[in-house]
Amino acid sequence: MADLELRQISKQFDRQFAVKDVNLHVQDGELVVLLGPSGCGKSTLMRLIAGLESPTQGQVLIGGQDKTPLRPKDRNVALVFQSYALYPHLSIYENIAFPLRVRGVPSKTVDAKVMWAARLLDIERLLQRKPRHTSGGERQRTALARSLVRDPAVFLLDEPLSNLDAKMRHAAREELRSFQHQVKATWIHVTHDQTEAMGLGDRIVVMDKGRVRQIGTPGEIYRYPADTFVATFVGSPPMNLIAMDDHILGFRPESCLPTAYFENEIDLFKVAFRLQRAEYLGNETLLYAIADAPLPSTKMIARIPSTLRLDVAQGERYEFAVRRSDLRYFGTDELGAHIDRHLDAIRA
Amino acid sequence: MRNLTSETENRAIAALALLPSFAILLVLVALPTFSVALYSLQDVQMGEAAHPFVGFENFLWAWNYAPFWNALNNTLVWVFGSVSLEMVIGVAVALMLNRNFVGRGIARAVVFAPYLIPTVVAVLVWRYMFHDVLGVVNYFLLKAGLIETPVNWLSSPRVAMTTVIIVGVWKFFPFVVLAILGVLQAIPQDQYEAAKIDGASEWQQFWRITLPHLMPIFLLTALLRSIWTFHKFDIIYLLTGGGPVGSTTTLPVLVYQKAFADFEIGRAAALALITAFVLTLLLLLYFYLSKQVEARQ
Repeated sequence: MADLELRQISKQFDRQFAVKDVNLHVQDGELVVLLGPSGCGKSTLMRLIAGLESPTQGQVLIGGQDKTPLRPKDRNVALVFQSYALYPHLSIYENIAFPLRVRGVPSKTVDAKVMWAARLLDIERLLQRKPRHTSGGERQRTALARSLVRDPAVFLLDEPLSNLDAKMRHAAREELRSFQHQVKATWIHVTHDQTEAMGLGDRIVVMDKGRVRQIGTPGEIYRYPADTFVATFVGSPPMNLIAMDDHILGFRPESCLPTAYFENEIDLFKVAFRLQRAEYLGNETLLYAIADAPLPSTKMIARIPSTLRLDVAQGERYEFAVRRSDLRYFGTDELGAHIDRHLDAIRA
Repeated sequence: MRNLTSETENRAIAALALLPSFAILLVLVALPTFSVALYSLQDVQMGEAAHPFVGFENFLWAWNYAPFWNALNNTLVWVFGSVSLEMVIGVAVALMLNRNFVGRGIARAVVFAPYLIPTVVAVLVWRYMFHDVLGVVNYFLLKAGLIETPVNWLSSPRVAMTTVIIVGVWKFFPFVVLAILGVLQAIPQDQYEAAKIDGASEWQQFWRITLPHLMPIFLLTALLRSIWTFHKFDIIYLLTGGGPVGSTTTLPVLVYQKAFADFEIGRAAALALITAFVLTLLLLLYFYLSKQVEARQ
């Protein structure tokens, strides 16, 4: 294993920047998630690291060595594709053995390595099968095993969970995480799913339009979003954003609670709203509302845990509160676009 | 009860809809096949009213008829020579056309041209080009110093089959290109990318990814081309008429000669049935293979 460093990486396709000025240092054994909407450049960035694309500008360093001019096979990285890219005509065994076979590794060593990887991923009983006779989860493990047998310096995973159904995804996330711990891998994980990113990453890199918006631990990203894009992309429902005179005010739906909940606390910010619709979800209730004077009239959401007994009626005016320490302030320069995105997210 | 009625009605409508196709197949396929089978057991001479039954005498005659064995041999040479060359050239060209290069669209159109040109037109041009004195082929070969005397492309019994095969391959390799190119374009790119990262060279990518993907369709195409080449008549007949000295007489050509030059319909029918029998075997193999391929997908 080794660390990975990206220096001032940019990639241009026909004058369009797919990735622009990305700097990132991934520590040895760290799991970093590249998170962003589709088209944000996260997959391109991963392909740049793998060497499937070469950057227009910048350097890729693995273990302190500049690998930018090297071909994919000389970089010692492993890539698990979204589709898993298993070879349909080969058995699971031969799929896992493939990287060793093409390097001319002796059969005995190949066998030992394949069995080791298969045991680690618990797919020993599948080895003689063809990929088409295995489930999505089993294919994913096979792809992982295939990447493992070469002792790569860096693992790259491109949306590895997106082909699994929702139920399996949670379990697979757990497995990935413990697998990563076990092999102590330096690991780049690409996803558009913010829950996956939060649950999996040591650190998260939030990307949008080819640029890095924020790099931080899940806690930092969630509690201190660097801008309105991160504030609305991470968290579901997203952070409430309310345009004030010279700034944008932000607070998470779950920090907006009935005033009574805060008892004698004093450092509170009053949020008045008119309730439009209450959505009961079992563990919580989402209140879709319009902020009311003195706040400017803006769509917002409050998220009330079911443990707080609450009787609310549509159309009524309520006064809730947010701890001042939970308020976030953003500049207004990007106001238009992100407020729009925010509203779209609320409607969806 | 109502459901039952509508079920019966549906069946009636289905039967009615199938009737025209059934009638056409009956008149154009079943009846002729049946009459050929009938003729093969009779002594039928063109212009004679009596068709006495002779049992399997026509088949016995074929067994002892040297030109039949010659034709069978020629057919095998013709099929094997044509199809193997078509497959090799077809795959090579498909691999080339699958790469990105300037003018690929034009190159594809040009490659497919022979398949679209009517056989009669193509053969007449080829006959002219292969003419031993006036032909452009000999002219260039002489000029390049590859041969010292003109080759009798169409009039030498030793060369004629080669000539016929060249024209056949030229005409039909585009079919192979079409089939193989379709498969090549369907191979997911990420398999190649995965292989690149895993350290496979271009050559290894070809052997370990491209070729295994091609194999099923390659076999099916080869078999299909064998069936079509086996009963091919027009190219050979138009180029050489089966000559010289029977050196390019394949089974279909022999059947034609027996029936319409010698007017021995009964014997021709027996030869046709033998040809059909071989073709049926190939066809069964084809169906078997394509089922295997389908099951794997």
